[in-house]
Amino acid sequence: MNYLSKLSVGAIAAGALLGTTALADEGTLDIVFINDGHVAPYHVAWLSGFEDAIEAYDEAFSDLTVTGRWLSAEGSLEKMIQQAEVTINEKPDVMFVNAINVDAFEPLVAKAQAEGITWIAVHSPMESADYSFTLGDVVNGRNQGMAMCALSGGEPYKVGVMLGQAGNPSGEARREGILEGIATCDNIEVVAEQPADWDTVKAQSITENWLTQFPDLDAISGVTDGYMYPAIAVATNSGRDDLHFYGYDGDIPIIQQMEGGNVKADILLSGTREGWNFVQMAYRIHKGEELEKVYDFFTPLVLTEENHQTALANGFPEDVEVYYVDQALEVAEKGFLEFGPDSVM
Amino acid sequence: MSTAQISTPPKLQLDGLMLRYAVLVGLIAAASIGFGIANENFYSLTNLGILLRSISVLFLVSMGMTFVMLTGGIDLSVGSNVAFSGGVGVVALTTTGSATAGFVAALLAGMAIGWVNGFFIGRLRLSAFMVTLATFALARGLALVIYGADSINVDNGAFLWLGGTSWGNLPVVIPFVAMVFIALSVVLYRTVFGREVYATGSNFNTAFVLGRRPERTLIWVYILTGFLAGLSAIITVGRVSSGQPWTGLYLEFDAITAVILGGTALAGGRGRLLGTILGVLLYGIIINGLVLTGTNPFLQSLIKGLILLGVVLLDTFTQKGRAT
Repeated sequence: MNYLSKLSVGAIAAGALLGTTALADEGTLDIVFINDGHVAPYHVAWLSGFEDAIEAYDEAFSDLTVTGRWLSAEGSLEKMIQQAEVTINEKPDVMFVNAINVDAFEPLVAKAQAEGITWIAVHSPMESADYSFTLGDVVNGRNQGMAMCALSGGEPYKVGVMLGQAGNPSGEARREGILEGIATCDNIEVVAEQPADWDTVKAQSITENWLTQFPDLDAISGVTDGYMYPAIAVATNSGRDDLHFYGYDGDIPIIQQMEGGNVKADILLSGTREGWNFVQMAYRIHKGEELEKVYDFFTPLVLTEENHQTALANGFPEDVEVYYVDQALEVAEKGFLEFGPDSVM
Repeated sequence: MSTAQISTPPKLQLDGLMLRYAVLVGLIAAASIGFGIANENFYSLTNLGILLRSISVLFLVSMGMTFVMLTGGIDLSVGSNVAFSGGVGVVALTTTGSATAGFVAALLAGMAIGWVNGFFIGRLRLSAFMVTLATFALARGLALVIYGADSINVDNGAFLWLGGTSWGNLPVVIPFVAMVFIALSVVLYRTVFGREVYATGSNFNTAFVLGRRPERTLIWVYILTGFLAGLSAIITVGRVSSGQPWTGLYLEFDAITAVILGGTALAGGRGRLLGTILGVLLYGIIINGLVLTGTNPFLQSLIKGLILLGVVLLDTFTQKGRAT
């Protein structure tokens, strides 16, 4: 490449950078995260990761003041809309919104964009949003279901599936994936499907009912690890040490129960990682980087090494990305490893 | 003699209410000044518009709840009723293409749930708490069935007008709510029905003996609350351009909080709509201000709880002081 070409490429790159960031104040990055609720251990880890990341990015970049705050709608659509309206009026740079129902927020996305705010739809994609931060729920669910097939040993196997709140797109997608995965083998029978509304107390009652109704139940699958805590406790207290659990979320206490325990598979979202990834994503947007409009959070399947080998021997696809327990725990605990300031320097 | 005592709130109680209103106005002023200092955006016209729009539905539902609580009852079903009547209205709208049909269907659906509440509570004399707890679940379940647990987009301009339109920074819904307040004030303070509401709450049996038909009053009070839930549903659909099965969640608790803040007695027979309006306003300002000031959401619930507890304690002490 000659000198003139290099100069042209440099000028185009500089122009693109200036063009994409011209509207933002170069010296500040204000991020707001509005969540649908704050009811599960996942949320605690999520917000903690988010807050830690804000602090870390603020310290790491001396030319940039990074600020952030989070709000919880406590499950109320009206509260969430009010919080979004008030936040838009405050004109932050980036808003992450985990909408209770995306259709209800369409009018607000337009308002936010008119104010120059980048709207990032969390978990449930929105066509109108600037970006959607998605989890690949169907694929993840399918991986959980296929892992169940591969680890069930080909014998008749009965499973109950605990669902999210009716109509929640993320929960529906996870359900779809889990059932697709289970359908890849013919020895598993889904004896019950029931929404627990992301509520651990409801999950406890459902587990108790299932253990009474289906004494030969082999496994409980859930669309969130929040259900696993009460389910495992109920099973243990009932003397059902043989019951298997298939989780979703990558909560550290659940992953810790995989080695030598009855948790057979989990999906590594990890609230801590997700919180860190939010801030990294906002930073990259602020710097003018072009990201995919639908940004898929990297969410591998978690298995023990022993179970992975068993699964592979039973026909589990080799191309499914699997983290073993130690690796999963490390990245789940230390979100900065993948998404900290070092990842964008 | 009894009639005069029931229909006109005694001076002693009115004074207690006036003290409550003074406290509420003081708290509203203090909160406004505090939040205004913490964030200058608080007084912006845009934020005031947001604040008022966000509490418009709470205003309507709380006014209905005031009628209910004046009779000594409670209505836990209003939030679910907003979701249910909104679903019926949206389905009627999308089926017929007529906004009028949607409006009528939403209002009738809300009133139907109200009638069920009123019939069981008024005619069969069942516990208001138990009956409305049942319809709380019933209406939410019906809403989920109607919607198929999913939202329904609405693009009919006439149907969306009330909840979604603003004149500058003034949401159309605000003058509408003010008109409803005036109309309900006339009903409560200037009609026989209003006097019967107070009479029923003061002493159901005495009202019955005096031939006031309190059971019928109860039915109409719950129907009125259902009607206001239907109106709220129309506003909510307009606000989010869609029908939502999970709308109105926990709305009943916010409404009960606002009514209690406003000085309406849980036992019935004492209270005014003005107090409820002040209660809703205080509640809305606190929520808005806490979001604006970036207060930790954990503390937000704590602060709301402390304010409610403080006002209720104040009320208890002032009532005791005046009784001795």
